[in-house]
Amino acid sequence: MTSLIIVSVLAVAVLYLGLFKYKTALLPVSVTGLLAAAAMAAMDWDLEKMYFSEMMLFDNYAVAFSILLILTTLLIFGLSRNYFEKISNNVAEYYALMLFALAGGVVMVSFHNLAMLFIGIEILSISLYVLAGIRRKDPASNEASLKYFLMGAFATGFLLFGTALIYGATGSFNLAAIASSGAFESALFRAGVLLMMVGLSFKVSVAPFHTWTPDVYEGSPGLIAMFMATVVKTAGFAAFLRLFLMAFAEASAFWAITVAILCILTLFAGNITAVFQDRFKRLLAWSSVSHAGYLLLAILAVGFSASSAVLVYTIAYSLASVAAFGIMILVSRARGNDHLDSFNGLARTNPFLAFTLTLAVCSLAGIPLTAGFFGKFYVFKVALAQGYTWLVVLAVINAMIGIYYYFKVIIAMYMKENANAVAIQLNPGFRLVLSIVVFLIFLFGIFPGLIANIL
Amino acid sequence: MSHFLIVGAALFSIGLYTVFSRKNAILVLIGIEFMLNAAILNLVAFGRYDRIDNEGQVFAIFAIVLAAATVAVALAIIINVYKQYKTIDPDKIKDMKY
Amino acid sequence: MIEKSWLIPLLPFLGFLINGLGRSRISKKTAAVIGSASVLCSFILSVLVFFELQGSAETGVTVKLFEWIRAGSLQIPFSFYVDPLTCVWLLVITGIGFLIHVYSAGYMHADQGFGKFFSYLNLFVFFMLILVMGAGYAIMFIGWEGVGLCSYLLIGFWYKNDAYNDAAKKAFIMNRIGDLGFLLGIFLLIATFGSTDFTEIFPQAAGFQSGDGRLLAITLCLFIGAVGKSAQLPLYTWLPDAMAGPTPVSALIHAATMVTAGVYMVARSNILYALSPVAMTVVAITGLATAIFAALIALTQNDIKKVLAYSTVSQLGYMFLALGVGAFTGAVFHVMTHAFFKALLFLGAGSVIHALHDQQDMRRMGGLKKAMPVTFLTMLLATLAISGIPPFSGFFSKDEILAHAFSRDPLLWVLGFAGALLTAFYMFRMLFLTFWGDFRGTAKEKQGIHESPASMTVPLILLAVLSVVGGFLGIPEVFARQAHLLGGFLAPVFAASQEVLPAMHVPHSTEWILMGISVLGVLVSIGMAWSLYVKKKRVPAEDTVQRSGLVAWSYHKFYVDELYQALIVRPLDALSGFFYRVMDKRFIDGIVNGVGSTILAFSSTLRLLQTGRIGSYLFYMVAGIILIFLLNYLIF
Repeated sequence: MTSLIIVSVLAVAVLYLGLFKYKTALLPVSVTGLLAAAAMAAMDWDLEKMYFSEMMLFDNYAVAFSILLILTTLLIFGLSRNYFEKISNNVAEYYALMLFALAGGVVMVSFHNLAMLFIGIEILSISLYVLAGIRRKDPASNEASLKYFLMGAFATGFLLFGTALIYGATGSFNLAAIASSGAFESALFRAGVLLMMVGLSFKVSVAPFHTWTPDVYEGSPGLIAMFMATVVKTAGFAAFLRLFLMAFAEASAFWAITVAILCILTLFAGNITAVFQDRFKRLLAWSSVSHAGYLLLAILAVGFSASSAVLVYTIAYSLASVAAFGIMILVSRARGNDHLDSFNGLARTNPFLAFTLTLAVCSLAGIPLTAGFFGKFYVFKVALAQGYTWLVVLAVINAMIGIYYYFKVIIAMYMKENANAVAIQLNPGFRLVLSIVVFLIFLFGIFPGLIANIL
Repeated sequence: MSHFLIVGAALFSIGLYTVFSRKNAILVLIGIEFMLNAAILNLVAFGRYDRIDNEGQVFAIFAIVLAAATVAVALAIIINVYKQYKTIDPDKIKDMKY
Repeated sequence: MIEKSWLIPLLPFLGFLINGLGRSRISKKTAAVIGSASVLCSFILSVLVFFELQGSAETGVTVKLFEWIRAGSLQIPFSFYVDPLTCVWLLVITGIGFLIHVYSAGYMHADQGFGKFFSYLNLFVFFMLILVMGAGYAIMFIGWEGVGLCSYLLIGFWYKNDAYNDAAKKAFIMNRIGDLGFLLGIFLLIATFGSTDFTEIFPQAAGFQSGDGRLLAITLCLFIGAVGKSAQLPLYTWLPDAMAGPTPVSALIHAATMVTAGVYMVARSNILYALSPVAMTVVAITGLATAIFAALIALTQNDIKKVLAYSTVSQLGYMFLALGVGAFTGAVFHVMTHAFFKALLFLGAGSVIHALHDQQDMRRMGGLKKAMPVTFLTMLLATLAISGIPPFSGFFSKDEILAHAFSRDPLLWVLGFAGALLTAFYMFRMLFLTFWGDFRGTAKEKQGIHESPASMTVPLILLAVLSVVGGFLGIPEVFARQAHLLGGFLAPVFAASQEVLPAMHVPHSTEWILMGISVLGVLVSIGMAWSLYVKKKRVPAEDTVQRSGLVAWSYHKFYVDELYQALIVRPLDALSGFFYRVMDKRFIDGIVNGVGSTILAFSSTLRLLQTGRIGSYLFYMVAGIILIFLLNYLIF
């Protein structure tokens, strides 16, 4: 709880710093604040405290995901030095909005009441609508913002309607009360579950509610897209799983079929469309859709092994995405665009970047000895334990398709030449963050036990 | 009771129809507001059975506040879009695709 | 020493790190020394492990390193398992790997990416060692993926050429199809046995009924993996294309070690296969078909490395035939002897290519006997070995396989024998075209012909010695009782499956006859090659010349020649050409490319749905919601 307060206060403080033109203080203050927030979250371990008449519950699940969200934001802030300054004059807004979004994310992983879930999602989403369109003079950014907003608000309508129906069926917003209400057979409840599933599916870009993803990722500034792919996706899935685990687990026979179908749709839509992409950012966006499909597999396996599978997967995915988006930003800034051809010859000019990106896409593709392999491994494992063998078979086929398009960028970097490419300059922030990411991808790829047995 | 539900469902459907039929981002926004209000109406209606905590009513107030915040942001975005594109027909803004 | 066996893969890995990280600072000489020395040390350690294992009463030792994966009840420790089977592979990988490292120092001396090359080679050796040392299928899979990655990197090593890139890509995709099977097999193993460790699975499996459906599914899935990795029908076309890589790579990865990983896996899982007769039959038929098919194609290849590549595919087919008929020892034996002579053949071919400045077309060679005596002599020995002439190594291993095939079904023997005849023919065709006759290249090339440096010829000589004497490790029973050293060493590994499988029963007299027939046939086959390519000095037609040119050529020949031509050579030529053009290039490549292009076509259609219009996006959403509700309404 303290960490949530720190994050919210930090956001306001950063706004004030911006107001009084202390631009140089923005980053240090944010970073210190986030470190404090992470530390405070860690202190709540094993305490299982309820807050505000059972509105929020800080159990280990909430703490683990909060820390993950905070640390990922920290990594993104590490890359943001001199980034926002190039886009606008009001740098403080960025930090403040991202911190507000983070606060929403923390609420989303620790709710114990549908009201808090709704508030968390809205805080996160509204901040993001603005962040997507923050490059005010850039048409693409505006388009991204409008698309994200119109579709997001539309999906919120379904989410809210679903919440209302569940309230009508069970008489409460409290997760425990819903779980023990025994109203699982009523049509009102079932319609509510489906509508909430639709609303959440939109947030984590599950097909057929994923269409905003590539366009919004493409139009938003690179770091914001990175934030969406990592923090927002993690928070969305943690909330999705928490809701279905704590409130709807008893009715799993009912909703599992729908989730399984959405899972297949998402996997194929994401992976197959990604094959044809020739711009790296859109490719990452489609791959982010496909990762939502793999994560849905874990939701099918209600139970605490599912939480740990989702945790491992989101950690691996966040790390790899930070590296992939980060290098995409560098390359597109140095070479004008993020077309795959722009990566030609990167292995010669910047061996470190090429190696990091290779590792990141290997992790995204799920090649062994990277963290991503264990993400997939645990997710498949829990789905198999529930007897979804056919679904895992389809998912493995999709993973193979995935390898094909991920390797396109490796081929470009290592096997194609670009005669007039010059080395890209790295600032210390990038170097530090990328090194940390490389280390962690390897560490979790070789010793998955470090993160797999937390929950 | 069922009257409230019918009105709610009707409002929701009208909102859905508005979202689909209008070529103006502001009217689309109004359609979305219809949908949200349908849900809020339901919340209040169901709140009748929950006289001890009145959770439904409280949630409704939260939802209204958040909807208002959404509208504020939405209008800002639409104005910005208009400055760039000179139109607010969402279907004409489609530079990013495939 | 066995407890310290984790040092064996660690050393090449250190070599990879040093060469990989410091490649801009380390001189070529240091890089070569580090790369070779690390593998040499591993070899010495492997030898020590071998002797200790031979002296001890235990059949296998598990070396647990650390707790790796724990998910619910499933526990996968990261541990190595060292038993006689592992030991054989350890010696082959590190021993031949070391020789090829030394050879590479000479072969690649002028290459810019020298340090990079050695770091990749070391990384490959590391992963290959992990593959054969892993104590379970999960660890094996790490090595399996790792060697695939290294092979991919090394095939595309000279990446300036687009054809190389395509070859690397094809190898990659075909191997993915295989890996899919392997991965599914692992998941099925977990579902069936609750573990991936050999020591957990095999004792449990021994209690299963023969023909159990679960075992059949597992073994078939695993076999798909083996088919991809070991280049069997229908996933073999990547191997000939992979010859685009540097020649030492072809020798190490695409002949001696990586491609035998599939054989290792099946041999390791022998008890699972022994209990699934259907899978055994599938393995045997696939192996035999590949052996003959690839041999037929090799008949008309003109690129010296392509001949060797198809020959490798064919020999791998023999190994699977051996596995399929239950001759597990024979398969391992052939892996070993094949590693000796095929590595030697590739290195010899590399020596020739090196001397002719990257000329690989045998029609531009000829008469190199004098100029390159060491290369010639060593390659001659290797060719005799692969053709199955006693007492060279190939004779013993091939004979063992064919004898087992005979005891299972004489028809298998007949077909295997036919393949052996083809092998002898195309191998001697290659040898005659390269070393006999007159030089057919340009004058400038002729001036440059030279014997290769010592760093290249010494490995050739050592491998030649091994090719000659390697066969004595497995002398068949008909010559002397208890003389099959390898069989005795490996016996504990295959003990459980030999109890299940019917014992081989071929009377000694029959075996003598079979041996006699095969040696005689091979000699005739060599004689035919001699008369064609040495006496008649026939050179394969240029690619541009139409085959009708052959008619004019045959005008001067005797009637016998004409008959021979019409009855044997032409049909064989036609068959070979047919298989190469239609089956290999069109059909199998077609399927692989077809899968790829289908996905691409889907992709390009599917992405049109992404219109960019918010209206259509909202429509998809609502359509999705309506469908979801409809579906749930119908179900519940």
